[in-house]
Amino acid sequence: MSDEVPILRVGGNLLVTLQGNLDDSTVEQIENAVTSEVARTAASGVLIDVSGLSIVDSFVARVIARLVAMVGLLGAASTIVGLQPAVAITLVELGVPMGHVRTALNAEQGIALLRGARDERVH
Amino acid sequence: MGYGDVAVAGEVAYRQMIDSITEYEVIRLDLQGTVRSWHPGAERLTGYPADEVLGHSVRMFYTEDDILAGRLEQELRTATETGRYETEGWRVRKDGSRFWAAVSLTPIRDPDGPVTGFVKVVRDLTERRDEQVAALAIEQMLDAITDYEVIRLDLDGNVRSWSPGAQRLKQYTADEVLGRHVSMFYAEEDIRSGQAQKELATAERAGRCETEGWRVRKDGSRFWASVIITPIRDQAGEVTGFVKVARDLTERREQEQLVQRQRDEILELSTPVIEVWQKVLVLPVIGTLDSLRAARLTEGLLERIARDQAEVVILDISGVPAIDTDVAQHLLKTVEAARLMGTVSILSGVRPETAQAIVHLGIELGGLRSRNSLRDALQVALHLVGVGNVAERDTAGV
Repeated sequence: MSDEVPILRVGGNLLVTLQGNLDDSTVEQIENAVTSEVARTAASGVLIDVSGLSIVDSFVARVIARLVAMVGLLGAASTIVGLQPAVAITLVELGVPMGHVRTALNAEQGIALLRGARDERVH
Repeated sequence: MGYGDVAVAGEVAYRQMIDSITEYEVIRLDLQGTVRSWHPGAERLTGYPADEVLGHSVRMFYTEDDILAGRLEQELRTATETGRYETEGWRVRKDGSRFWAAVSLTPIRDPDGPVTGFVKVVRDLTERRDEQVAALAIEQMLDAITDYEVIRLDLDGNVRSWSPGAQRLKQYTADEVLGRHVSMFYAEEDIRSGQAQKELATAERAGRCETEGWRVRKDGSRFWASVIITPIRDQAGEVTGFVKVARDLTERREQEQLVQRQRDEILELSTPVIEVWQKVLVLPVIGTLDSLRAARLTEGLLERIARDQAEVVILDISGVPAIDTDVAQHLLKTVEAARLMGTVSILSGVRPETAQAIVHLGIELGGLRSRNSLRDALQVALHLVGVGNVAERDTAGV
């Protein structure tokens, strides 16, 4: 993974793309980039696109869960987007606790979901 | 010492010689077949002492059938006419038991021609006959095995015996294969790789070699053979050759492959995924869910979710005969995997007894929506994918 962590702004939300191999240093970069970007833009939601990850083991699953927790502490909602079938099966078979993580099929649906969640909070 | 004394001395020596023969019966008969001399060898063989035999007809050793058939008379006549008669047959001992006798009859002639009697030599061949009968029985037994090939190889792998079963299997006759190397039946690639030699080496080392593979018939056609090679050892334990038993499993192999293909097809057929509405899939689960089927079901469903970007999946379990903990686990894993991909699942076709079973078994379905009928489930699904309702599925507790 390059030094640049790809983070896109989509409306009031951020789209973070995870790809390639995740190791400790890249994870640290991602966490730095995402948290500072959420704080800077005051984003209400973060979409974490994992469709570029072909292998998700318990380490990667923990990374995702940690990212979700950090984003939550900054007052934004996150959604995992684009989990591949094989990865979904692996996570279930590994018994990785992902119960609290929101998911969506794609970025479009994810944004709709975040918008709904925000509306819900507003009401 | 006069001439008479020499004759007497010769007679005595002759007598002693005969008496020393214990393995044979060597006796003299007169023209009518009456026993005129007896000796310990004869007594040992038949059980009769001299005084019970001398002066009686030799017929007393014959079986009833032979006596009725006039066997003795025939034998004496043939011996007289041809100068010698040899036969084998059953004879009877004093205790009534039988033994298999090799008999020879030689006429004794006066210097001027006429026959004056016979010398009869009898040997007990019962043991040898038993062995022959046993060997013959084994041979016949092997020949009777026509569904298998049972043949013998020498130490180098050359064919040393052939059987009707082998001929039936490989189409070669005995004279076409005897002495030739067993590799003649192997497929070309196996000949190149020295398969036959490897199998013989394994059999010799491990005491047995069991393989399956292609073998070639005389007409060049192949068959799938199951082969067992076992070494033959002599009394010292040295391997002297091999027994090779082969069987044609072509049909069974084809059958197995057919069954496998059908099983795959059934698996494919038994986990259909139907798109009933845009972004709504229905998975009718039918029959018993074992782990293999469940894995295939989960896999198939998730692939379809990814392909169709389906937002809702209805798992219809009305076709599942019984829900137990395993089946429930399989279903819950599928539901969770689908959720991780961003898809909501709805359970449908839950019958009253299924509902009771799920609760009684303590199966925790979490926030999984569940409906009695597919119709109700479809309504929920349509509501979930309805415009502006995407968020609602979340609040309804996924």
